[in-house]
Amino acid sequence: MLGRPASGLPGGSYMRPAVLRLPAIFHGRSLTSPALLSLALIPMAVILILVVVMFWVSLQQGAFGTPSSVYTLGNYREVFTDPFIYVVVTNTLVFTISATFFALLFGLPIAWLAERTTIPGKTLIYALMTLGLLIPGIYTAMGWTMIAHPRIGILNRWLMELFDLSEGPINIATPIGMGFVQGLSLAALAFILTAQMFRAINPTLEEAARVHGMGYAKILRRVTLPLARPGILAAMIYILTIGIATFDIPAILGLGNRVYMLSTFIYLKVHPQGSGLPQYGITGVVGAFMILLAGLLTLWYGQVLRQAHRFQVVTGKGYKPALLPLGAWSIAAWAFIIAFAFMSKVVPFLLIAYAALTPYFVPPSFAMMRRLSLAHFYNMDWELVLRGLTNTAILVTVVPVAVLLSGFSLSWLIVRSRSRLRYALEFGAFLPHALPEVILAIGALLLSLFVLGRTIPLYGSVWLIAIVYIVARLAFATRALNGSLLQIHRELEEAAFVAGLSTIRTVWRVLFPLLRPTLFSVWIWTALLVYRELTVAVFLTVQDNITLPAVIWSYWYGGTLNKASAVTLLMTVVLAPLILLFWWFGRRSNVSLN
Amino acid sequence: MINKKSHGAQLTAWGWPAVLIVIAALFSATPAPATTLAELVAGAKKEGVLHGQWGENSFGGSEGFKEIIEGMNKKYKLDLKGQYTPGPDMQRLMLRIVQEAAAGQPASTDVYLGNAQAMLDALNAKVLSPMTFNAFIEDKPKPDGKFNAIAADGTHVAVATAVVGIEYNTDLVKGADIPRRMNDVLNPKWKGKIASTPYAAGMREFATPDFLGREKMVEFTKKLSKQIGGLMRCGEAERITSGEFLMLVFTCGGNDVNVLKRTGAPIGHTVIEEGTVLHMRYAAIPKNSRSPNAGALLIDYLMTPEGQSLLWKHDGLDLHLFPGSQTKRELDKVRAAKGKIIINSPEWLASFKDYSKIQKELETILRQGAK
Repeated sequence: MLGRPASGLPGGSYMRPAVLRLPAIFHGRSLTSPALLSLALIPMAVILILVVVMFWVSLQQGAFGTPSSVYTLGNYREVFTDPFIYVVVTNTLVFTISATFFALLFGLPIAWLAERTTIPGKTLIYALMTLGLLIPGIYTAMGWTMIAHPRIGILNRWLMELFDLSEGPINIATPIGMGFVQGLSLAALAFILTAQMFRAINPTLEEAARVHGMGYAKILRRVTLPLARPGILAAMIYILTIGIATFDIPAILGLGNRVYMLSTFIYLKVHPQGSGLPQYGITGVVGAFMILLAGLLTLWYGQVLRQAHRFQVVTGKGYKPALLPLGAWSIAAWAFIIAFAFMSKVVPFLLIAYAALTPYFVPPSFAMMRRLSLAHFYNMDWELVLRGLTNTAILVTVVPVAVLLSGFSLSWLIVRSRSRLRYALEFGAFLPHALPEVILAIGALLLSLFVLGRTIPLYGSVWLIAIVYIVARLAFATRALNGSLLQIHRELEEAAFVAGLSTIRTVWRVLFPLLRPTLFSVWIWTALLVYRELTVAVFLTVQDNITLPAVIWSYWYGGTLNKASAVTLLMTVVLAPLILLFWWFGRRSNVSLN
Repeated sequence: MINKKSHGAQLTAWGWPAVLIVIAALFSATPAPATTLAELVAGAKKEGVLHGQWGENSFGGSEGFKEIIEGMNKKYKLDLKGQYTPGPDMQRLMLRIVQEAAAGQPASTDVYLGNAQAMLDALNAKVLSPMTFNAFIEDKPKPDGKFNAIAADGTHVAVATAVVGIEYNTDLVKGADIPRRMNDVLNPKWKGKIASTPYAAGMREFATPDFLGREKMVEFTKKLSKQIGGLMRCGEAERITSGEFLMLVFTCGGNDVNVLKRTGAPIGHTVIEEGTVLHMRYAAIPKNSRSPNAGALLIDYLMTPEGQSLLWKHDGLDLHLFPGSQTKRELDKVRAAKGKIIINSPEWLASFKDYSKIQKELETILRQGAK
């Protein structure tokens, strides 16, 4: 029925004028609704500019921004002929695959439990998964250093004593070990990316299977998982690209142990720790290859999208999800969730609290417990913390709204349009995700310094950070919204158009209510990701625009780990009740929708 | 590669912006620099605010900055406001200032505090503002041989001295195990348990002809690279106190150990018998500083006994050229043991044309392992 000629619709002459108001995208002619189009295209323009800057940078060597800088292809030659880059790429691949595997291993089952079963305490599950995001990756990494470091790791010490070993058998500072820690950190994202997809799956298919005598395991294997496949694939692609670009955990666990990933390789090129100038050109070359990689991943994702119409299961009729009764299995399910929370959240959080209260950092001991004090809180630079908090509050307020508006506009055009332009939009929306944020930040930095200059004074302002955040988070929003839009049948929008609603009103009256859980989760997750985002802030912070995570990073980078822990503890404790409140509203919203 | 020399054409990426910057600089009304302390104080009073940025582990970070501003206000009878933001490492911050100057933006910090390498980069890029420090600083330190704390052209002032050595965990490295000579760290018992810096701190200076020379240090660094368990930056002393690494070979200076020891942390610092390098800490005013007078006044204050005392309190260092200096006492011991001492200054670095090349070579060996 979709996309068919208007004459194919029932209703005769009365229906005809309304049908004429159908957006042209349904007929593959052109994209309409200037408001939606603008919201989608403005961030695309920013992305395009940043990509151009990156290519421009890749062609320069010397002190960037000074007359000594020259155009050359030397950066490409240098990257291609450096055998070390192949070691880095291999490490990155192993790390990325491991991280994706472990993220889905934990995130996917917990999402399924939270959305498709009768497990009790769902709000607590959401709270656990969300609160974990507030704990910066550097602490998860440090927590696991204390657990599995060959020399000071508690687990290794225990194994050495138990089996009389001369050295610890587990080494977390390997690509697989780091992938495990990264996977724990990304499991929360896997959870949120797949939870809303599980929520939207039509239960009638499962019920039909049950009526035909299928057991729960078989239903899960034959019905639920195939229905969820596009969402799982999308989550997998998304996490894969994060793995390639991620910085904090490889930096903490890898740099010091001489295990390099692409992100830390770029970091070293831009942060010459000793001699030499920042090699922005090398980052430009790596960024160019990342664009190619993003292209391949986008093609793959496009394949998933093209087949996805088979999975459109939420319609205007009879949308009523049913839940699988868990019974006594709830205990096992909760044991799994608690084990995950302990590994990924509780240990790092305890470590933060401990470090915030100790005068200097040593492994936890009873002797040290007697020396705990609030000295780091008394001596805190409150002016700096408040400056960071103000800027972070501005970003958390502005960025998620902008991301939602642009993300929805993009998703709607990508999913509903039949124009070939949708592939370009899809590619553009996915691109920032595949690029390490370091590269986006460098592009924005050089653009604001040397192109915009004082004409558009963005350098050193919080708005420059906001623009990069919006662009960087767009992929997250479109991934989540694409999946949900795919599962809302077009007949609902058609009905609205037929009833005479404009595009904007259709979006507002029909799509937004149906998408409310996804919009809410995108909003809150974007806010949280913005709240804890570090890499971009580190590159773009000057004086007045410092953010709270950048304060923490500056303390940590400056070797004052205890001060960094004190600020982290503060920011987690202050925000925890707010997060719980958000989720309470979120769950209420879901219940009323369902 | 398109090279302007090889092609004759001036194909530079920033030719026009550079010209515009020069034109803008010519037409901008720059006030005449202060020549007396009274003018400096008056200028600082007018500016009202001092923006400071350097690493949190340098010069006492936020706590040190707060006390320095309080001390300045008291000494010069001012009501100066300070805004400190923890920043990147010394080199990186200087490169940022150079970029900001090239782009016509104000500097991230009104007064730069950093090391000799960063100072050399700044001098090459001509981004420092010459000031008449000789007129301001009342208690001028005596030169140490050819080395003078106040640069002749007034672009920079050495305000403190950090002594390079080996940092170690005092709970895990005790008595005879504490390294006395450089080769002691190559003992197989330390294999995989010690660390070095990714930027070859200390080793790069030891590799100069003035000290042990390139051949010897490349050989040592290759052995050390096989011996170390990882790399850590100067200032990450928690990785030593936690026992993750037992030693750091070599440090950028033992000053952070001086501060951490006061808290009871199990950490110590030793200078090897071969000698040491003095990593001088410099202060300078960027040309694009928003408050050059207040910045210069801070430098003046750091050269007073009160300022030196605050540097010792918060960063565990002071200037060895002052007679009552704590660092001088440490150096007297090295001199008594006939260890060689070299002073790392921008002028000294500039005198070695292969310094950067050697440093890169050593860094590569340490980062990628001795293959």
